Amino acid sequence: MHKGARMSDLQTPQKAQWWKKADVKKTLLLWVVLTPIIGFVGTEVQVRSMGAPASEVMASVKHLMAVFTWAASPVAALVAALALTSLLNKRHYGDTPPPDADHEIRNSARTASTWIVVSTLLCLFALITGMIVFQKDSEALLDAKAININATGQQWLWSFDYPDSAGVRSADLYLPVDKPVVFHITSVDVKHSFWIVQMGIKMDANPGYITETAVTPNKIGVFDIRCAELCGLLHAYMQTKVHVVSQADYDAWLKNSATLEGAA
Amino acid sequence: MTTIMNRPASAPGSAAGRKPLIERLNIVTAFLLGTVSAVVVWQLALKFMPETPETSLFFNREDKISLLSLIAWFVGFMTGIGALNGPIRWAMGKDLSHSENMFLAGKDQGIKRYFRYTTDHKVVGIQYLVTTIIIFFVGGTLAMLIRTNLGHPSGGWIHPQAYNAIVGWHGIVMIVATIIMVTGPFGNFIMPIMIGARDMAFPRLNALSFWLIVAAIPPIFISFFTGGITTGWTAYNPLASQAGLGMNGYIAFICIFAISTMVAGANITTTVIKMRAKGMTWNRTPIFIYGVVASVALALPAFPVFFLSQIMSGLDRAFATSFYNSAGGGSGWLYENLFWIMGHPEVYVILLPAIAALMEMAPVFTRRPLFGFNLAVLGIAGICGLSILVWAHHMYISGWAPLLNAPFMLTTELISIPTGMLFLVLVGTLWRGRLWMTVPLMSIFALLWNFMIGGITGIYLSDVPADAFLHGSMYVTAHFHYTLMGAGLTGAIASLVYWFPKMTGRMLDKKLSWISFWMVQIGFNVAFMGMFMVGLAGQPRRVESYAAMFSRGNLITTIGAYTIMIGMLVLLHGVISSWRSGQKAPMNPWHAKTLEWTVANPVPLENFDVLPVVTSDAYGYGKAKS
Repeated sequence: MHKGARMSDLQTPQKAQWWKKADVKKTLLLWVVLTPIIGFVGTEVQVRSMGAPASEVMASVKHLMAVFTWAASPVAALVAALALTSLLNKRHYGDTPPPDADHEIRNSARTASTWIVVSTLLCLFALITGMIVFQKDSEALLDAKAININATGQQWLWSFDYPDSAGVRSADLYLPVDKPVVFHITSVDVKHSFWIVQMGIKMDANPGYITETAVTPNKIGVFDIRCAELCGLLHAYMQTKVHVVSQADYDAWLKNSATLEGAA
Repeated sequence: MTTIMNRPASAPGSAAGRKPLIERLNIVTAFLLGTVSAVVVWQLALKFMPETPETSLFFNREDKISLLSLIAWFVGFMTGIGALNGPIRWAMGKDLSHSENMFLAGKDQGIKRYFRYTTDHKVVGIQYLVTTIIIFFVGGTLAMLIRTNLGHPSGGWIHPQAYNAIVGWHGIVMIVATIIMVTGPFGNFIMPIMIGARDMAFPRLNALSFWLIVAAIPPIFISFFTGGITTGWTAYNPLASQAGLGMNGYIAFICIFAISTMVAGANITTTVIKMRAKGMTWNRTPIFIYGVVASVALALPAFPVFFLSQIMSGLDRAFATSFYNSAGGGSGWLYENLFWIMGHPEVYVILLPAIAALMEMAPVFTRRPLFGFNLAVLGIAGICGLSILVWAHHMYISGWAPLLNAPFMLTTELISIPTGMLFLVLVGTLWRGRLWMTVPLMSIFALLWNFMIGGITGIYLSDVPADAFLHGSMYVTAHFHYTLMGAGLTGAIASLVYWFPKMTGRMLDKKLSWISFWMVQIGFNVAFMGMFMVGLAGQPRRVESYAAMFSRGNLITTIGAYTIMIGMLVLLHGVISSWRSGQKAPMNPWHAKTLEWTVANPVPLENFDVLPVVTSDAYGYGKAKS
């Protein structure tokens, strides 16, 4: 057992090159076939479920999901190929054990080191890809030209203040298209989480603190705002709409709301 | 007659052979004394505690009274079960005699020893097994209530208050069940035999750790009927300080459970370090032992933090302190930090022993040595080390520390490297093995499948921009069910099938366990694939109703959940019927090489007549080509 222990399972140079062995060939074939299938199905199912994006942030989230899925698919396919080849190999049914395997491989330095190096590289790839997007999202917070919106959560509704047009307050959010927005989020009671689903942004609303997130809506339409943090009895119903409209419609709405507020 | 005359007057009429107090304590006296103490303290407090003004924001008086009653329950229960016998004797200067110690070990007591403060590790293992099954039954029933309510968008036959309470109860009950499901039954029953020891290092602490869990269960049940845990199992503040009296049950439960985990952790760690058989070097120690030790060693730093977080939560409720109340200078973020400093190591507390158990079974059912033992140890150690540095990935979007998101993203994604090592160990062991088609073997395949999905979705969640979309959605719920249930519970059920013959002396019914395996695995994947999809489409977690656009995915999940339920009931039936009248098991039905298979069925009181000497590891399967 000690002599054979060092022998690599992918390396038996005296007899045949390792890649010519039947089970290795089978694995490689499965790997090549499974990788695109897993990548395609994984990406399609996820990206389709996510619906159409209403901001660049959401588009980049969808892109990230696809990139990660494709990057992970060779790994998943390799594990699946190895497992399937083993399963298709020598099966034994019954109450007594099969005879022992015809080898006693305990290690393979080459396999292990390749595995670790590849998984480290993939890990770095995921990290760097994510960091690039993260950096871009964070910079959006500093945009001086952005519209400011104060979003306040309370059990169980949202309200929105428009400090750039003092006095306006609404239960449905109104935003002009293609204009950067910075949200200043807080809560008056318990923790809530401000989520504009189709724009891919989310930030907790904490009592006593103000948190910030930013987005540029790039599509005219009506989208969903939901609370994403359990906040008590009617958490499920704590949702409202965001109306993304043209700049002209937005200005008209602001003016109209300001007069209404004044009248009240 | 003279014996009766010598007895104190307070015990009249008892017969001559009256048993000493230490032999009369059992689960009945424990429940009696616990209930009586709780009721007495409750009534006294009601009578004597001053009223608080009705305008008080928090229910201070009621909270104080209920927390006091829960403490009284705990003290009464532990006294009633006999946890204090040893310390009291020691304080009086009289240690337990040999015959008393034999009594405590459960010698010649038949079924009764399972209802006493018994120190034998095998009794504790069986106690844990039955308790785990009961807790899973409760948690599973709650899961079915949740899924039934979510079967239709306007389902709503459960009141939102009750629904939130069920979600919280399901969460905490399942977390506890999964924490104890491997280290409890198999860590206690099998582990000492596997390392060639006669018992655990601290047998009385072993009994203590189990009975603490029993003491913790009634508070969590009572809490359901006094307002419930309407906060989810995370019990975030300030929502928790707003919640009704049921939260106090949660606080008491967590504190007692945390003590139990710490006690068990100290015990198991010491046992493995000090009591391995002669010749069992670290290189010859089975990988399952590493998994169990890693799990409890992670729990050792994690659970004191959990304990502390709940003490502070209790103080906020009962005395209106401001640890978590921002109006008084505290912060909900403090709670989140404390909670997740426990919460992320905790998922590996659950996972590591389950994966290690499957790694232990892999060579047995492939008849070849474990591939990459050192890699497995390295992977487990790597996960342990990294898992205490990742907690704030649960708080990316909390706004607590945006500048720390990048470093936490780094540590979180690094965990994929040691996790990948464990994958390599498993597929490497399957590779060119002779597969013995049994439920434990197929569980390895199931784990690879489920944990791959759980792991890859974990990478999306570890990424800050993607998490900003996915956080708090059903996607997260599906992800952690894939890891904790798809990987963890699969490993635990495989362990049950594998070690059932040694623990009960009978084989687990093969047909029933196969039926259960396929129903659970297929139902599981159907259920949680559907949940991934509604999560991606934007359904938040912990909601009792949802938009019509999510109805198809939710219906799929509910159908899957019912399939799981039937599969689990089949397994339960198999366990009960096999335990009662299954086929008698031989000493070593799987022809495995670890030490627990070298002792007879049923395992004798001190396991080994002569302690074994180990000369090689337990993976010497396969033969070299000549």
